[in-house]
Amino acid sequence: MSFAVADEFLAPPPAAPPGIVVRGVSRAFGSVRALDGIDLEARAGRVTALVGPNGSGKTTLLLVLAGLLVPDAGSVRIAGHDPVTEGPAARARTGWMPDAFGTWDSLTARQVLLTFAAAYRIPPVTARLRVDELLATVHLTEFADRPASVLSRGQKQRLGLARALVHQPDVLLLDEPASGLDPRSRVDLRLLLRRLADDGCTVLVSSHVLAELEEMADDAVFISRGRTVVPTPVTTQSTWHVRALSLGALTTWLTSVGATWQPGDGSSPDGPGSVLMEVSGEAGAAALVRDAVAAGVPLTSLGPVTGSLEQAYLTLEEERR
Amino acid sequence: MTAMSPVAIDDTVPASGRAPRSGTWRLTWQGVRTVAQLELRQRVRSTRWVVALVVWFVVVGGLTLLLSGALSSETMGSETETGPLMFGAVVYLVLGLGLLVTPTLTSTTVNGDRNAGTLATLQVTLLSPAEIALGKLAAAWLAACVFLLISVPFLVLALFRGNTPPSALLRVVVIVALLLAAVCGIGLGFSALVSRTAGSTVLTFMSVAALVLLTPTLFGLTFPSITQEEQVTVWAPPASWNYDGQPECELTTQTRDVSHTERTWWLLGINPFVVVADGAGTRPTPPPDDTGGGTADPLGSIRDGVRDLRSPDKVLDECWMYGEGTAPAAPDRHTPGPVWPWGLAANLLLGVVGFVVAVRRLTIPSRKLPRGTRVA
Repeated sequence: MSFAVADEFLAPPPAAPPGIVVRGVSRAFGSVRALDGIDLEARAGRVTALVGPNGSGKTTLLLVLAGLLVPDAGSVRIAGHDPVTEGPAARARTGWMPDAFGTWDSLTARQVLLTFAAAYRIPPVTARLRVDELLATVHLTEFADRPASVLSRGQKQRLGLARALVHQPDVLLLDEPASGLDPRSRVDLRLLLRRLADDGCTVLVSSHVLAELEEMADDAVFISRGRTVVPTPVTTQSTWHVRALSLGALTTWLTSVGATWQPGDGSSPDGPGSVLMEVSGEAGAAALVRDAVAAGVPLTSLGPVTGSLEQAYLTLEEERR
Repeated sequence: MTAMSPVAIDDTVPASGRAPRSGTWRLTWQGVRTVAQLELRQRVRSTRWVVALVVWFVVVGGLTLLLSGALSSETMGSETETGPLMFGAVVYLVLGLGLLVTPTLTSTTVNGDRNAGTLATLQVTLLSPAEIALGKLAAAWLAACVFLLISVPFLVLALFRGNTPPSALLRVVVIVALLLAAVCGIGLGFSALVSRTAGSTVLTFMSVAALVLLTPTLFGLTFPSITQEEQVTVWAPPASWNYDGQPECELTTQTRDVSHTERTWWLLGINPFVVVADGAGTRPTPPPDDTGGGTADPLGSIRDGVRDLRSPDKVLDECWMYGEGTAPAAPDRHTPGPVWPWGLAANLLLGVVGFVVAVRRLTIPSRKLPRGTRVA
């Protein structure tokens, strides 16, 4: 660590919290280079998706950000604080939810949260109010006084989320938060993260479920083999799903205007059905809708086959490990 | 959704210029209590613990009563004569069982939490590593002390047989409690050092076994190497004595096998059983000629034995078996000092080492991970 870095935190903190700033972070475990020069910036007030294949270093990166691992090289700032040299200051502002974590089975959900509140030095009176509020937020109020051992996997996941929020962190690090959650809880999670971001929180979420990340994330960071990868910009041509009430009317019109298409679902020309076709981005889609409606085709829906995140992900040329 | 209520967080940003990683050893009562409370709740809620307490009470109580019955039979002499024997036996029973139970209280506390995925979430809070370690140590020690406390009635029972000063009860309880604290510290250290719970448990038990069994074994094995022929002053009957009547003992210089136990006494001195025996403060052993045999006091005998080994007599008394007149034989006989403070300190030092190891291992962010573990 150079003196320049040390001087940096003697200076008054910048007015706008920068959220998460990662510069050239590397970390090796023996001969395995888990992180190999990660650059990342997550802004306050936004939900940033952390996307990458298995073993790409997502969890290791989150451990470094949470202040559990010292990076071999590079610098990290969490809300302006270095987790290595200013551990307590950074940790006071970080909420971390690991991908796999346990709960103390003998404690009730409320006791778990109160324990963490005490561990974050929150005064007991404030802590009790805060815990009640959090239990309501993650819909565990009715389980508040039952031992954590009776909670289902999804409920434990929600308890883990409440635990990460107990000290109102400025920066939230979530590793696969949606795994094990039922659809209702996933929607709740999305809304909660949205609300936290709108309140000025920096949210970094890793997940494999790209469709779900797509719904909640404002920005995306791709990592592969321990490096940040800038995906090649999504080509203007992408495959879209075009659906109409009458498959026959759709295909006849498409053929008449000379478009190339591939059959989707639906076989009867009179019944509803869909086709797959290459569309030039959203502008192309808008033109397609306008022309189809003008030609009297009973169009019902139109959408990209894969999400933009997924497309970007698939364009990553790195292989799985 | 309502806005979150404001939370006051005790900002622990170290004042600028403080060394990095400061706060590792920061201790607050609130932090230690949080961890200790968590640990105790975890343990007490599990019924296993209550069962263990009941089993302990029954075992110690049963053995004490059996012992009491055995010592009350006519052949063993009067109650007052067997009092110190009874007291010593119960003390050793409690200490022995305590040394068996206590390692399990801490030997899985860190790596067990790590395996269960609850350690890292605690480490990322504002609790300092020292608070986590001390909280775990305090909880385990309190649990060990509960075992000790429910044994006190049986120690009192032994006290009632007489011939043991009541202060011995207090001294024994305090010394045993401190020894168990040392064992807790050793277990804590191993649990932080070794990633597998089975490994740390075995190592903790081995350490306790080394203290209890290995030390006297080593003492015995090294005995020949510290024994050599030397010229010593001997208080013995004159060579001219023809085994008839009272000899006129005299001081002569003769060649004898001398064991320099002052070099190895500490092997016995760090043994927890010796520490307790020496520190118990039972009555001084009466002179051998007192009322034919006197009372059997195992603690006192061990105390006197170890103290003699620490500072062997300068003058060899070979005249004692020939009746009276042995007293003037030891011109420079000094009263050997107690060994238990040293032994207790050595045990506590091991416990402190374990504690320090645990704190260092709990410090985050960590540079290296224990082999084969994930952080979370």
